[in-house]
Amino acid sequence: MSPAPASSFAPPKPTPVWLGWLTFAFFIFTQIYAVVTSPADAMMGHLQKMMYVHVPAAWVTFAAFGVVLVASLFFLWKDDERADLLAASAAEVGSMFCGLTLVLGMLWGRPTWGVWWSWDARLTSTLVLFLIFVGYLALRSFVEDPHRRGQWSAAVGILGAINVPIVWMSVKWWRTLHQIQSNPRGLSPEYLRGLLLNVAAFTLLTVWFIWKRYEAARLERAAEHASQAAALGGYNG
Amino acid sequence: MGNEMIANGGVEYVAASYIITWVVLGVMLARVVGSVRRARSEYAQASKGEFQT
Amino acid sequence: MAFRDDVRRIRAIVWKDLTTERRSKAGFNSVASLGVTILVLFGFALGPDAQALRDAAAGALWLAVLFAGVLAFNRSYQVELDGGALEALLLYPGARWAIFAGKLIANLIFVTAMLVIVVAVGIVLFQVRVPEQWPTLLGIMMLGVVGIVALGTFYAAMSSRSRAREVLLPLLLYPMLIPVLLASMEATKAFLNGDLLNASGAWVQMLSLFDVIFLVATFLAFEYVIEV
Repeated sequence: MSPAPASSFAPPKPTPVWLGWLTFAFFIFTQIYAVVTSPADAMMGHLQKMMYVHVPAAWVTFAAFGVVLVASLFFLWKDDERADLLAASAAEVGSMFCGLTLVLGMLWGRPTWGVWWSWDARLTSTLVLFLIFVGYLALRSFVEDPHRRGQWSAAVGILGAINVPIVWMSVKWWRTLHQIQSNPRGLSPEYLRGLLLNVAAFTLLTVWFIWKRYEAARLERAAEHASQAAALGGYNG
Repeated sequence: MGNEMIANGGVEYVAASYIITWVVLGVMLARVVGSVRRARSEYAQASKGEFQT
Repeated sequence: MAFRDDVRRIRAIVWKDLTTERRSKAGFNSVASLGVTILVLFGFALGPDAQALRDAAAGALWLAVLFAGVLAFNRSYQVELDGGALEALLLYPGARWAIFAGKLIANLIFVTAMLVIVVAVGIVLFQVRVPEQWPTLLGIMMLGVVGIVALGTFYAAMSSRSRAREVLLPLLLYPMLIPVLLASMEATKAFLNGDLLNASGAWVQMLSLFDVIFLVATFLAFEYVIEV
């Protein structure tokens, strides 16, 4: 057998199958539970039910970006390719949830504020985060060399993470239109339980998606390495 | 009575947001599972090539 | 002293870049002309009402500087790559950050020269009333240029060595520049409206803070970006 020079070339352990089933079963349960148990809100009516998809999606977007930041820093620190692949997986999943958050926010904004979009700090910084995700993934697709791709995208990810709170701050300064941070403690318990359950379900979904993407990325690298080794005549004497 | 009107309004927005969420998650699920399956067969093929030499 | 050596290296790179630029004036002339052309296009988009033009002048000026400046950032590495000179530059002993500092200062001089032309033309085209304290205005604009050039020089180090560099640089750079641009535009606008350093002052403070943050971040990260 080949001596396996770096652990990132070995094929990964498969993502546990039970986690996938558990995740989706839990997700379906929390969605139905939240919609069925929540009474129509006095102010927003049934629109309140959008909270159970919009707020969890926003939360996991920022959590996924946190994973990108931490994995990027770890990659630059230890030069472990697995951290780079994890960052890339989290960026792919995060960008999907970020786009979903934006669309759901617009769908919520239209009937409540009367506009699809407003230039306030939270909306704008989420949009900028989405653009940074897009740039990050574009950079990865345009650079072939794995080491170079890792270092460059780590730099882009870290600077992007610095940028998002700065955008938030400057847009807040520029224009503050409406609503205070929606505070979970201000919610009545029948809404809060559904919200927290859905946040947990979305977090599980994100973990599972990132894990699967990471497994695929590791397998691709392992396959590349194995075919290179085969082309060189194989290490196995 | 005014409340009644508000409470029944906007149901189509709620339905749209849930449908969009489920469609996006479904697409993501298919993509993720597909990419793992593809990578696994790619790896199996590549490592088989290694053993043949 | 090691630091003196670094300063010498920086000076050498600045001098080299500016000499290349001076010998082939085509680069600067075309970039500055592009900046002016963009201003003209903004004039058509926003005019011909004089007051509307005046209100939008600050934003249009900054976007013209940005759009034209982006071309300069990729060029600054492109010239090196064509001759295979970047590898040689990296092989020389000394700190890598000195290369970044040299490139940054050269780009700073280049973009500032372009900014002077674009602003002069913009004042005429957009019928801007020149304020009494115009040196202060130049100071504000310099702060904005520092932010744009720091991030531009940094991202161009990557994009210029990748495929699809024309689209990659703006795609990476523009979202990062939103805070710097917003602060520059608002500070400039407040200043042009005669609001002498009341609203403008707060924006200038913010802009200085952003400059410091992004300068530190790009200097620290450049080591990793140029290494490979």
